[in-house]
Amino acid sequence: MFHALQLESVDNVATVVADIAKGSVITVQAGARAVTLSTLESIPFGHKIALQPIKRGEVVTKYGRPIGRALIDVAKGGLIGAHNIEGMRGRGDLAIQEGEAE
Amino acid sequence: MTFLGFPRPGNLAGTRNYILIVPAGRLLNIAATRVSQYVHGTKCVITAGENGRHKKDRERLARIYVGLAKNPNVYATVVLGAKKGFGYQEVEPYNLAHEIAKAGKPVEVFTIEESGGLERLVEDAIDLTRRYVHQASLVRREPVSMDKLTIGVKCGLSDATSGIAGNPSFGKAADLLIAAGGSAIFSETVELIGAEQDIAARCANAADAKRLLEMVAEVELAAKRTGEDIRAINPLPSNIAAGLSTLEEKSLGAVRKAGTSPIVGVLEYATQPSRKGLHFMDGWQSSFSLPMSLAAAGCQISIYQLGGDDLPSNDPPMLATNTGVVAPLMMITGNPRTASKAKRSIDFSSGAIITGESTVEQMGEALYAKIISVASGELTKGETIRYSDPLEPYFLGPVF
Repeated sequence: MFHALQLESVDNVATVVADIAKGSVITVQAGARAVTLSTLESIPFGHKIALQPIKRGEVVTKYGRPIGRALIDVAKGGLIGAHNIEGMRGRGDLAIQEGEAE
Repeated sequence: MTFLGFPRPGNLAGTRNYILIVPAGRLLNIAATRVSQYVHGTKCVITAGENGRHKKDRERLARIYVGLAKNPNVYATVVLGAKKGFGYQEVEPYNLAHEIAKAGKPVEVFTIEESGGLERLVEDAIDLTRRYVHQASLVRREPVSMDKLTIGVKCGLSDATSGIAGNPSFGKAADLLIAAGGSAIFSETVELIGAEQDIAARCANAADAKRLLEMVAEVELAAKRTGEDIRAINPLPSNIAAGLSTLEEKSLGAVRKAGTSPIVGVLEYATQPSRKGLHFMDGWQSSFSLPMSLAAAGCQISIYQLGGDDLPSNDPPMLATNTGVVAPLMMITGNPRTASKAKRSIDFSSGAIITGESTVEQMGEALYAKIISVASGELTKGETIRYSDPLEPYFLGPVF
């Protein structure tokens, strides 16, 4: 039985498939391999958990591909979400700062 | 493997047997609606239409009208117009009928001028439409090979289960259909952003890969021109609430619905494939836009792959009802919580993947069997409702 799925071996996050309380020890399925991890905060169903410490500015990887970068340092077992990562594509807000937009 | 389809000219087969009422210009929406309300077995395509739109967008609207009429689910089409030569020529009634007639199916034009008034037009159109419906009833379903089936897909209100369970299950079902000679079309250009290189690499020819990357670059440029972080638009608030944090994350899950088959064609918006197999079509993912657009491209069924974790907890409304117009819209989910709370609306659940009770392969096979059943006449839950949401063609804009 697993509580979270790491989709590709290079991913630094896993997706939890149950509502997980803070301080739980969960099983993360990574292909045929399973690892355990302690949660630093509660992680709702479908949200992501850091599998390793992720530094501010570091790329967050899921499906083996970049999904964004960290806005702050996140510890192993922390919740990863829109509050602490940002996208890197379609950034019209940055385009204005960089003078790209018309 | 076969499905039970209605034979059509051109070696095609329908999964449904409708008469389509086409308003040639939005002035005729009132007449088309009235005829469709009055006559059983009809569908009509009501949009806010052509006025103030440039030629490329008027052509897009015409492609919707003509494509829906050519869809194998349609037995015959009735085109309603103001008068010969009236209005923008892209949606002039005789021009539309000329294009529709190329499918080799019955098509007739009525105009207000020739009928002698709007209400006389409605009477004339009802008279013929009732005869068409009766003729259509004489066509019998028969076993036809799977190469005559084209399915469309969109994902909606995506959550973390979409990319892990729901979309991959659809992808497996699409792989099975394509292996049997059939076709599948996926779309949602915005939701290739962040996943486009992987998808381009699957295109069977270089020109298609180049066009696909152009389509994505064009939509990303348009997004940047809004001056907003696209995350304030897409992913939607419900996607974010359900755990999808960036557009790239949503896109990488969304493209799981493309399965593993080679992409044999990249289609412009609302155009039909010229070969069998997996296609990408440029399109807008709105629930009120894409199912109709996929049907105009020839899809006889579209699958709506719902995440839905953020929906209300009991009997939530669906994101779209009957927006495939002539093509049934099948609601599926990979989220067991969505399947449970939306029992009245969900046609198929692959929720057992997330719970570890089943696999993508098993769910994909079960979904393929369900698609064949719906192709053969089983109603989707949405089809049991006599309501259609508004329809939005994917226009480029701006308007003038």
